Amino acid sequence: MTPTVSATGLSLRYGSVRALDDVSLGLTPGVTGLLGPNGAGKTTLLRVLATAVPADRGAFTVLGHDPGSARGRQEVRRRLGYLPQTPGFHPDFTAFEFVDYVAILKELTDRAARHREVRRVLDEVDLSDVRGRRIKKLSGGMRQRVALAAALVGDPGFLVLDEPTVGLDPEQRIRFRELIAGAGEGRTVLLSTHQTEDVAMLCHRVLVMACGRIRFDGTPAELTERAAGRVWSSTGRDPGAKAGWRTGTGSFRNVGDPPPGADLLEPTLEDGYLLTLDGAGHTEVAA
Amino acid sequence: MTWHVPEDDLRAYARGELAPPALWSTDTHLTACAHCRGVLAGAADPVALDAGWERLDAELDAPRPGPLEALLTRLGVADHTARLLAATPVLRRSWLGAVVAVLLLTVAAAHLTGAGQAPTLFLALAPLLPLAGVALSYGPVLDPTYEMAVVSPTHGFRLLMIRTVAVLAVALGLNGLATLALPGYGLRALAWLLPALALTATGLALTPRLGPVAAPSVTGGAWVAVLLAADAARPAADGPLAPFTAAGQGVAAVVAALGAGLLLIARDRFDLYRGGGSAA
Repeated sequence: MTPTVSATGLSLRYGSVRALDDVSLGLTPGVTGLLGPNGAGKTTLLRVLATAVPADRGAFTVLGHDPGSARGRQEVRRRLGYLPQTPGFHPDFTAFEFVDYVAILKELTDRAARHREVRRVLDEVDLSDVRGRRIKKLSGGMRQRVALAAALVGDPGFLVLDEPTVGLDPEQRIRFRELIAGAGEGRTVLLSTHQTEDVAMLCHRVLVMACGRIRFDGTPAELTERAAGRVWSSTGRDPGAKAGWRTGTGSFRNVGDPPPGADLLEPTLEDGYLLTLDGAGHTEVAA
Repeated sequence: MTWHVPEDDLRAYARGELAPPALWSTDTHLTACAHCRGVLAGAADPVALDAGWERLDAELDAPRPGPLEALLTRLGVADHTARLLAATPVLRRSWLGAVVAVLLLTVAAAHLTGAGQAPTLFLALAPLLPLAGVALSYGPVLDPTYEMAVVSPTHGFRLLMIRTVAVLAVALGLNGLATLALPGYGLRALAWLLPALALTATGLALTPRLGPVAAPSVTGGAWVAVLLAADAARPAADGPLAPFTAAGQGVAAVVAALGAGLLLIARDRFDLYRGGGSAA
């Protein structure tokens, strides 16, 4: 399938920190997950692809448009929905007013058409009933849905979501996953997350970043497969394991290179993620 | 009903050509007035009428605009521009209250020093108020939606200019009212105006290079340094400081023009995120 978003050699430094280091990727319609530890460069990559920050080197296109020029950047922005890591709100605005404000920024100046679109996206995230409520009176989960509604204004072909499920309780997270899955139908979605469950349940493809580089690019099943034969159970923490922790049953779950005769376990996507990060200097697992 | 919507307005409404605030007034009136609904039905073709009902349905859902938006719309500002301005962080009561408080204090100080001397404190502080207001109207410091605004197709410079004009109008208006409270000084009390424009233009022109916090801070600091130097070099203790003399006003006008020119040259740099970065 031809990529809708493709990037080659993206690099960006913040002072002495190499935030992006020769990143190349191609995204296709559906939800692509972006996993990585703090400081891996996920948010920087999203900001570059969202045209907020220019890369020092490299190039990319979104839906056939090159944001390297002012004209191309505007064309990309017309097709972009962006939910930043910490979406800000004007707290005195109602949900409707806030989404209306974003719709104006997205060039929907005709009042009637704009209000129809605002109602559509608020309905899509199931917030029609609270559209007249001030944002400061909404729960954290509802605010995230307001921000998602704002990102969906104008039916963007490329949706960039930066850790949208952070801080949500399990029920809200499941609800949000449903919304993201719906949003991923027919459009390209790049979802940055710390939650491997989000990736396992939502994504047709996953990228793992560490130290500004892409360490893995494949399907969730392929990432899980990386840990096949490398997860085992023991009665105590295996000193040879790269990571290990006591489970609820009292036994230890170890990830790494198992000793001969080890009691192998079925790997999860998280195991594959941990092994992918191994050596990248960012694996943080408490034994 | 004691009044009815004029037929011309109803016809414009049916065609979708009636503009706010008359549009809002007609929306509200139609929900309660069977007579006007009847006139509307006769004035419109069925397709246009269906569109009108659909629009009315949408309008009933939409929230009423706040006092600032309503005022701006009545003044002829397009409703979408009014909403952009309503989201300007400094056009809030807290900021306006602080500006009014500063001006009241400086005006009071000018009255206490007497009409024989120049209202130096007022003239020194008044140019800083629009500089601060404009600096805080767009950027990551006070605008919570800055990151979303940057990646929207609306050019950052356009948004900046919309807000700058509004904030300048308010700040200069308040300064002007304060000037009227100092009638004994005549035109001398207006000597803040050109420095205010010079500082605002310079602060904005430096923003792409120094950032949204450092640029206005450096500009404001430079203004204070100029005033201190002028005070030290003042020939007579009760004479005006150099920036408030005719020559000083000329320099301020040149700096304002240069700042505006540099700002125009750097306009594309307002279209990118300026919140600082980390490898998050």
